Formats: sequence, C-alpha cells, structure tokens
Amino acid sequence: MTTFTETRIKIPMFSPSRVWTIATGTMTQLVRMKTFYFLLVFAVLVAAIGNIDIKSASSVSQLETIKKVSFGTMDIFAWLYAIVATALLIPRDLEDRTLYTILSKPVRRIEYLIGKLLGVLVLIAASLALMFTLCLLMLAYKQSGFIADEIKMLQAAPNVTTAEIEEQVKLIQRQGVRPELAVAALASFLKSSVVAVMTILISTFASSSLFTIITSIFFFLIGHAHGMMTDFWLHKTEGNLIIRMLTKVFKLLIPDFQLFSFSEGIVIGAEVVPRVVWSMGFLTGGYLFVFLLISLMIFLYKEF
Amino acid sequence: MPSKLPNWLKIVLILAAFGLVRSPVENSLRRKMNTAGMLLPTPGHSAMAQMGQSALMGMLGGLRTLVATGYLLDSYRHFDNADWDANRKSLLLATYLEPTEESHWVDLVWHRGINAPAWLETRARLPEIEKRILYHEYTRDAIELGEAGLKNLPKSVEIRKQMAEVYREKIKDPCGTAKMYKEMLGLEGAPMYANRFYGYFLSECPGKEKEGYDHLVNLYWEGSHNHLPTLIKKILVLQEELDIPVPLWIREKDPDAQKQINRRIKKPKPLPGGIVIP
Amino acid sequence: MSEPAVEVKNLTKVFQTGSPGANVFKKGIAGSYVVAVDNLSFQVNSGEVYGLIGPNGSGKSTTMKVVLGLMSPTEGSAKVFGLDSGDIKARSEIGFLPENPYFYRHLSGEETLKFYGKLCGLKGKALNDRISELLEMVDLEGARKRRLAGYSKGMLQRIGLAQAIIQRPRLVILDEPTAGVDPVGSRQIRDLIIKLKEEGISVFLCSHLLEQVQEVCDHVGIIFKGRMRQEGTLEELVSIENRYSIVLEDASPALIKEIEKLVAKEKGASIAEQGNPKTTLERLFLKIAGRKESDA
Repeated sequence: MTTFTETRIKIPMFSPSRVWTIATGTMTQLVRMKTFYFLLVFAVLVAAIGNIDIKSASSVSQLETIKKVSFGTMDIFAWLYAIVATALLIPRDLEDRTLYTILSKPVRRIEYLIGKLLGVLVLIAASLALMFTLCLLMLAYKQSGFIADEIKMLQAAPNVTTAEIEEQVKLIQRQGVRPELAVAALASFLKSSVVAVMTILISTFASSSLFTIITSIFFFLIGHAHGMMTDFWLHKTEGNLIIRMLTKVFKLLIPDFQLFSFSEGIVIGAEVVPRVVWSMGFLTGGYLFVFLLISLMIFLYKEF
Repeated sequence: MPSKLPNWLKIVLILAAFGLVRSPVENSLRRKMNTAGMLLPTPGHSAMAQMGQSALMGMLGGLRTLVATGYLLDSYRHFDNADWDANRKSLLLATYLEPTEESHWVDLVWHRGINAPAWLETRARLPEIEKRILYHEYTRDAIELGEAGLKNLPKSVEIRKQMAEVYREKIKDPCGTAKMYKEMLGLEGAPMYANRFYGYFLSECPGKEKEGYDHLVNLYWEGSHNHLPTLIKKILVLQEELDIPVPLWIREKDPDAQKQINRRIKKPKPLPGGIVIP
Repeated sequence: MSEPAVEVKNLTKVFQTGSPGANVFKKGIAGSYVVAVDNLSFQVNSGEVYGLIGPNGSGKSTTMKVVLGLMSPTEGSAKVFGLDSGDIKARSEIGFLPENPYFYRHLSGEETLKFYGKLCGLKGKALNDRISELLEMVDLEGARKRRLAGYSKGMLQRIGLAQAIIQRPRLVILDEPTAGVDPVGSRQIRDLIIKLKEEGISVFLCSHLLEQVQEVCDHVGIIFKGRMRQEGTLEELVSIENRYSIVLEDASPALIKEIEKLVAKEKGASIAEQGNPKTTLERLFLKIAGRKESDA
C-alpha cells in the first residue's frame, strides 16, 4: 500500500538549488555583517604603499617594492578573510540556533556544508578581484609616473641614446603591470580556498568562532613549515626515529601551505608554467574534496 | 555489516591516505616551481637564526616577500646612516628570504663593493692602515657575496656587471674584471660591450696581454661595426707593446691623433653675415 | 484511522558529559553519562495539539530534537507520519520553531521567509504568494521589509511560526512558543496555534508555562527527569471529579439563600467555595490593551 506521505514527498539526493540558496544566504550574511569593510582598509593601505619613497633606490627597485608589498598585502587579506569569514558561519549558526531551523527543513547536511563553503569562496573571489583591480590601478599609475620621470632624466643627460632610454623603460615595465600578475591573484585564491575548507573542517567540531579562528591560524602557520621540517628535522636528524616519524605524520596530516605561496615568485618576475598552475588547481580540488568529506563525517554525526 | 572503526580513526586514515597520495605530487610540484622560480627556496638555518621572532613568524605565515621587503627598506635606512655592517645584514636576510631576487644581490655587491669603500675614502680621521684593512675587507666581501648570488642565479648578468664594477673601480683588478665580462658572454641580456670590455681588461691582466690582444684583433676583423676608436687605439698600443710583427699590424690611424688634427683644423663658426675669421 | 503525526516509542537518550548532572548513572574515564530521556513513549495524533510539559531540564527539548532528526536516539524510536525521524523526507512534513529563535538578523521578514521557502523547494510566484499569505496571517505585513534585528520578541516568534509553516507541513513543532513574550504576543501565538489546528495541522509543543498550554492543548504529557509522569486529555488531567461549579449572573441574595438551603438538605454535599469569581491578570491586561488600541 502506498501511503500519502510516500506519494507526496520527492526529495533529491542532492539539490544544487538548495546549495545555492544557502550559498547566497551566506554571501548576504557576510556582506551585511560588513565584513567587506576590510576592503576599505586595503584600499587605504594600497594608497599608502603607493607612496613608498626610497630616495636612494632606483625607479625599477621602487616599483618592484611597491608591487611586492601590495600583492603581499592582498595575499594576507585574502587568507585572513577566508579564515575569519568562514569561522563566523557554522559556529555562529549554532550559537544563534539558526542551524536548527535550517536543518529541520528538508536540507541535507552535505548541502549545508557545500553551500556555506561556496558562499565563502564566491566572496573571496569577489574580494580578490576587487583588491587585484586596486593593485593594478595603483601599479599602472606609479609605472607611468616612473617611466615619464626616467625619460625626462635620461633625455637631459649627455650621451644617452634612444636605445638606452628604451632599454631603461623596458626594465621599469618588467616590474610593472604584466598579465602574469593575474596568475599571482589566482594563486592567492587557491591558497585561500584551501584555508577556507580547512576552517570549515575545524568549525565542524569547534565550540566557538574564536576557537575556530585561533586554531585555523595556528594550522595555517605551521602548514608553512613543511619545507623547513624536511630540510632541518628530516635530513639533519636522520638517526632519530621519533623525529622522523613525527615529521612524516605532520607532513601527511597538515596541508602544505608553503606550496600555495607561488604568487610570491610570480610577483618578483618568475616565469609562469601553465602546467604547474593547472596541477595546483587540481591539488586545490583534491583538498576541497577530502576536507569537505571529513567535515561531513564529523558534521553528519554531530548532535545539536 | 556496518564498520566497527570509530569515526575519528576513519578520519585520520582518510587524512593519512590523502597525505600519501598528495605527498609525491606536492614534491614534484615543489621541484618544478623551484626550478621555474615560482616558489622561493626554504631559507637556510643561519637565516632563521638571524631573523627576529616576528620576522620568522611572518615568514612562516607565507609573508616572505613582505618580510624581505621590510629588510630591504631597513637596508636603505642603514645605507643613509652609512652603517655598512647593518646594511649588509639586512640585505643578506632579504637574500635568504628571496634568494632568486636578483636586485638584492646586486644591491648587496653595490653597497659593499662600491659605496662602503667610497665612504672610507672620505674618512679623513681614520688611520690609513685601518682604512686599507677595511677597504680590502669590504671589496673582498662584495666579491664573495656576488659569487654566492651567482650560485643562486647562475645566469645573472646584472650581478656580474656589478662585480665587474667592483673589480674595475675599487679592487683595480683587470683579471677579475675580464673574468666577469667573459662570463657574461652568451648570457641572455648581456650588453654588447661585454665582448670588447673582456678584451680590454684581459689585455691589462698580467700574463694575459697577448690573449687579450688576439681577442681584440679578432673583434676588429669581424667587421667595421667593431672599428670603434677605443678598440683601434687599444690594438695600436698593444701591437707596439707586445712586439707584434709589423705585417700583422692593423693599418689604422691613431684615433687620438686624428682627434687632435680635427681639433686643429676645426672650422671657425661664421659670424653674422657670413664673415669667417681664420 | 489516520497515521499518528508523531510516534515516540521507548525513547532513551544518553549524553556523555564532562560534568556530573542530575541523572548521572555512570562515571568513567571519559566523563559521566547523563540520561536525558528515559524510556519515553507517547503519540501525537493527526490534527491534534499535544503539549509536553515539564520543568527546565526535564528532557522536553531533547525529545523534540530527536523528533526533528537533530539528534539520534540512544535506544527506541521516533517516527513522524510513519517515517523515521532521521529520514530527510520526514522533515518536509515538519515545521519547527525553536525557543527564542535567532534567525539571520540581517535579513528582512520577507527575505527570511524566502530563504526558508527556497530551502523547501518553493520558488517563483507560488513562493511570493505564500510569503504574502503568511505575513498577513502572522500580522507582519507592515514589517515585511524591516530587518529582523529591529523586530520585537513577539514579532520574531511570529515570523518564526511563519517560516515553520512555509511549506505547508502537516506537523508543527514548537519549543516554548510563548516564553518571554508579552501577554498580547502570547495571545496572538495561541490564536495562531488554534488556527493551525483548525486547518488540520498537528501541533506538538513543549512548554513550562502550564496555564498557556492548558488553553490550546487537546492532549498533555507531563515529563519530569526524562520520564513521562502522567498523560491524557486536558479534561482528564485537570477536572476535579467530585466537584461541580455553577456561575450565576445577576442573582438576588434570596436566590443564593435558597440554593444554600437546598445544598444543606443533601447528605454529604457542601458548598466548597462561593463569592465573586476573579478575572485573571492576563485577561485584565488584554482587556485594557484592547481598550487602549480601540481608543487610539
């Protein structure tokens, strides 16, 4: 016999529309919580960085410094935003009991988690795009200023050929706006995505937003020590079994955030290898999948 | 049958399995990125020991370029105060953090090899012996730092240019200068003059004069584009000094003599109205 | 007979806790175990209002969370319209209003209902029409565009009730629906519960405010320290079988004397109480509030 209940209810295994509803809700929540105010702080900082004036340094050196500092600041803002914004989501929903009303609707817990993560990722991407635009505008402005000054100076000097002026202009341009810088911004996004999913994982068992933030920052910092651990602890303590074991456990369990810092090299002019960038994209996908799976394993059995 | 494994153990196992899968991938990616310069190598033990606590934390937090820039700005401050040892330390830390950043090495060689010795020359009160010792120390250090830079950036023209300047202007070592110009040959971005300069300074290097002369003569015979006054003058002087058989001499006039003649027969400027006073 | 809206059978829920509680029954290395609900059984019939009453910490909220699928039972079972409470299908039949609900304060009333409606699969015109219908029903049309941060407690409770029934569930679960709400708000909520019942929706509510429960519930269960102490229809639980009351209006003193004489004649019967009946403070408050509103 078919009951009324069975005929009425059809709930898909996974509903992208519910995920998107939670993601857009998350975006609205974070925007209205004024978390985007940090972009104003960033704009002020970028303006301040643009005014760095090292009298004894050359134009090329000054432009390079401005570029490194502004892109470095962008990277910090992106991962810090990823931690803070993500940490405000699940623990806060739990503290405010909003989670009860959401999970008492026909919403699967995986949909809730993916929705939250998606919302944060979209916001990180949007904020990075804004910060990147700000950086480029400032860099382009400074670059044109430096080039004009250099041409004026060289034209006034004796025995300077047009070819030499062109060479100097090219040197400045090499430190200015280049298409590779977009890949540096992408690198910051990949890093922030892994940071966000790690924070989601921590928040599934954390008791508060503050605990989530502190723990995530802690893991983020030590996640940069992979290279150091390999170089010092593993190679220089070859005889010490315990340290070797601990190092391996550390490497297996904690994400290698240092690997995601490849924006640094690109910003200082390294050549971009597209295959490597693609591989980093797939690696990020791997982290997102596995960390989300573990988050679900915790969240699925969590009692509220 | 439901799994008997507790949830936390399953989680640790998944993390470990993921770690095992990603570890070789990450190692390979790290190598590729290090080769391409996309990823900066791990700073050495000595760099860590010299770094301040906050700088170290910053570096660990993925803020390497920012910390390096901090040290760079610090080095400029020390440059303004002519505190050469502090300037060296800051720049050296910047190179530890960004070993593939060419400008740090160039700055290091420049400050140590050019600015610091120049500053010494202006110190009237400093005893001569102390000046000499410090001068020697600074310039040798500049060359050693440059060589350390070349280990990280073997194809760097800029570091070699800066080292050549130190050899030429401060150490007054034509052999060392020639060596730097020779190393530049064939590197991307090497200046056109490197080949000529190699010959000029090699010809001044004791015991290598003939080798230098041969190099310059080869350049001369390469074509008229190399028939520059300095090159011609240098060959003319060398063919006499080295007793080169006359049939092998190049048949050129001394550019300096030509210059003097030109100066002597220089036409006077006509006065208004086209009047010329001889 | 139709399927019961809620069927709880031998439900036991044990928590592991670091600190010892009132119902501690075992202590181990990992901490103490607390029995929050102990072998609890009851049933909410379709279309009725069931009130689970008991003091704070008696296990009401735990029972409710098990029915909602937010917790799983240690032993026993909880079913909603025949479906296991952990089954996601069961949740599309349930509307839930938690105690002191905190919805997203940055959303307006309309946006809140839209958010929950979309979670239930509603969209487009059907959703917009339903939102308007519900805002009218809970008397919040005027506050439609206002953010919840500016809502009073009673308004929050009413928008909470609206979100609970957005997908037209067959069962509504309310946790302390009138706690902390002023008498006017409390009255509105009780009226809404009665309205839900009239529409054939089953209501399962938990409360410690006995008088308010009394007014709307068909069935009541009294829970204390995780166990069901007494259960039955309201009539069964509150009537005093050997007493009977008649309230007279405009009766003369002579008539009252006559009645007293009649009672005295009957052997074993006596007048237990007499005098002018008292109104409740709540009724008085509502009367005054109602008068003020009409004056305004």
